[in-house]
Amino acid sequence: MKFGLFYEISIPRPWTPEKERTVYNNCLEQVKLADELGFDHVWAVEHHFLEEYSHCSAPELFLTACAMVTKRIQVGHGIVVCVPEFNHPIKIAERTATLDLLSGGRLHVGTGRSATWTELGGFGANPDTTKKSWDEFVRCLPKMWTQETFSYQGEFWSMPERTILPKPYQKPHPPMWVAVTSPGTEIDAADRGMGSLGLSFAGFEEQEKKINEYRRRIKTCEPVGAFVNEQVATTNFLFCHEDEKTGVEMGKKLGNTFNYLATQLISTREVFSSPSYQSLGLLPALRRAATGPDASEQQTEGMAYGDPARIIRAVKKWESLGVDCINFILNANEVVPQEQVMASLKLFAKEVMPVFAKKPANVAAAAE
Amino acid sequence: MPLYGTLDLTQSPARLPTLGNLDTEAWTLPKAEMMQLLIEVPRASTDGLLPKAMHPALPSYVIFAVTRYSDSPVGPFNLAALRLGSRAGAHPRGFLLGAVASSDAAAKELRQRWGFPVEAGEVKFLRRHDRVMGTVKKDGETILDGALLDPQPVAGTDVQYINWVTAANAPLDGQTQPLLIQVDPKYTIYKADRGKPQVSTFDAAAWNAPGLRLADPIIGTCSTVDTDLPRIRFVMDPLKPVFQGTRRIRESRVDE
Repeated sequence: MKFGLFYEISIPRPWTPEKERTVYNNCLEQVKLADELGFDHVWAVEHHFLEEYSHCSAPELFLTACAMVTKRIQVGHGIVVCVPEFNHPIKIAERTATLDLLSGGRLHVGTGRSATWTELGGFGANPDTTKKSWDEFVRCLPKMWTQETFSYQGEFWSMPERTILPKPYQKPHPPMWVAVTSPGTEIDAADRGMGSLGLSFAGFEEQEKKINEYRRRIKTCEPVGAFVNEQVATTNFLFCHEDEKTGVEMGKKLGNTFNYLATQLISTREVFSSPSYQSLGLLPALRRAATGPDASEQQTEGMAYGDPARIIRAVKKWESLGVDCINFILNANEVVPQEQVMASLKLFAKEVMPVFAKKPANVAAAAE
Repeated sequence: MPLYGTLDLTQSPARLPTLGNLDTEAWTLPKAEMMQLLIEVPRASTDGLLPKAMHPALPSYVIFAVTRYSDSPVGPFNLAALRLGSRAGAHPRGFLLGAVASSDAAAKELRQRWGFPVEAGEVKFLRRHDRVMGTVKKDGETILDGALLDPQPVAGTDVQYINWVTAANAPLDGQTQPLLIQVDPKYTIYKADRGKPQVSTFDAAAWNAPGLRLADPIIGTCSTVDTDLPRIRFVMDPLKPVFQGTRRIRESRVDE
């Protein structure tokens, strides 16, 4: 089991330059500590216009800063919105390769298409075609990274032959992932040989179904890249405290705040009738859970908060379902004081991570 | 936390519809034709339109609905309504700003049963092959002229209608007081089209929304739909955040 951090970078009103800077600095401080503690990944989303929920509109800059203050932790650019109005594919290839170079080959690339009208409408994108443009982009990116020269004639973008520079540090290229929120996207990930970057907080049963289907389908995939990245990651909240009750209370506060902010987003389906957005993604589950920012009940199962023993039980359950990596949201609207976030990370690393540490090969062999 | 509306409904209760009770029976409105036009509006132009208990949708948008009900307990009628996209707690809602019904009987019943701020007027619904049109006149003046241009078929499952919230004086705990009322119809869609929304005439003040300006079009739909206007299940304190001030007054329908 691997562990990562997952950043939306949520900033409460009233916004001031100092507050925005403080939150970004808090995140960097957490990442630096996580690197020292042995966490495996730090992911940062790409979102635009999502007030309070996410001020992470330039994740490649944040992740570059992360890479510069850390030595080992892998940086996940995820997800990059693969819609031409948001990001030109040449720019995606160039900036991801640059980030991979600067991080010394620590980059993972997550891909997706955006789920909100707030964002799609803001960029003037057509919701009907986002799945198709995403498909084009993810098939082009590995070629742009690996081929000396590249040209392309597609439905959503085209270019004459050029040399796209720089090339990534990792060979053949960084691992590729797909954001999975809507039902069925795990199949899209599997069929293309990409990792499943779960962004929903569904319960065990639903996740198990998705993971089984992903594992089954990826066996016969035609990878878009030079290799198959068979990995299942899921998202969770983390608050670890010596006292279970304190840990659960703060964890719920974190989860409720995040969920409540998320439910304020205008899903594409809510306003734009489109066959491309049949599902509300993660919102139905969040709306069931988010009875309010101070709700005390209705949290989904398997949340990683409480004392270490409780969190170990939850992580073991996820592990048994086939999850390879859990990425943790540490804060929302800064409801968890920074010093408590840092203490939670330290306690988790001390008490929980060793339980799931990969055994050295000689120990594993001896155990057999 | 999310922004809240600024409208204090308790300051002007006289302008709200008044319900005799919260026990209205459900209405079944079969095979209606409903055109909905969704249009973004500048956030500042919605100031003072949304109750304090609710969150504004971001970006701000409005929903025009012009519907031909060919069958109802008060006979055939057309209804035009303007709703402001918003949130009741975590849930997307359309707060009903104003409405016009083509018959006095429909206007009276909708006001008294569900708290629609509806008046009688002239409401026309016209369907052509290249467009669907809705026009509304009040006191001889056109207050809405809107259309769905170039309708193209989509599946009924592609269309989502969000629930309504109305504001009315209603009896609760022995006192008639301003309340928010959730109106959550059940829709069965048979046929749906989608196209570009266009509004050529809009008199904001006539829809109880002075200052409201239209901006970027989102989408328009037209569907043939059965609508069950339900019994009232939830009412909300207009001044408290919805997650603190909601009262369930009736159990959910068996089909929910």
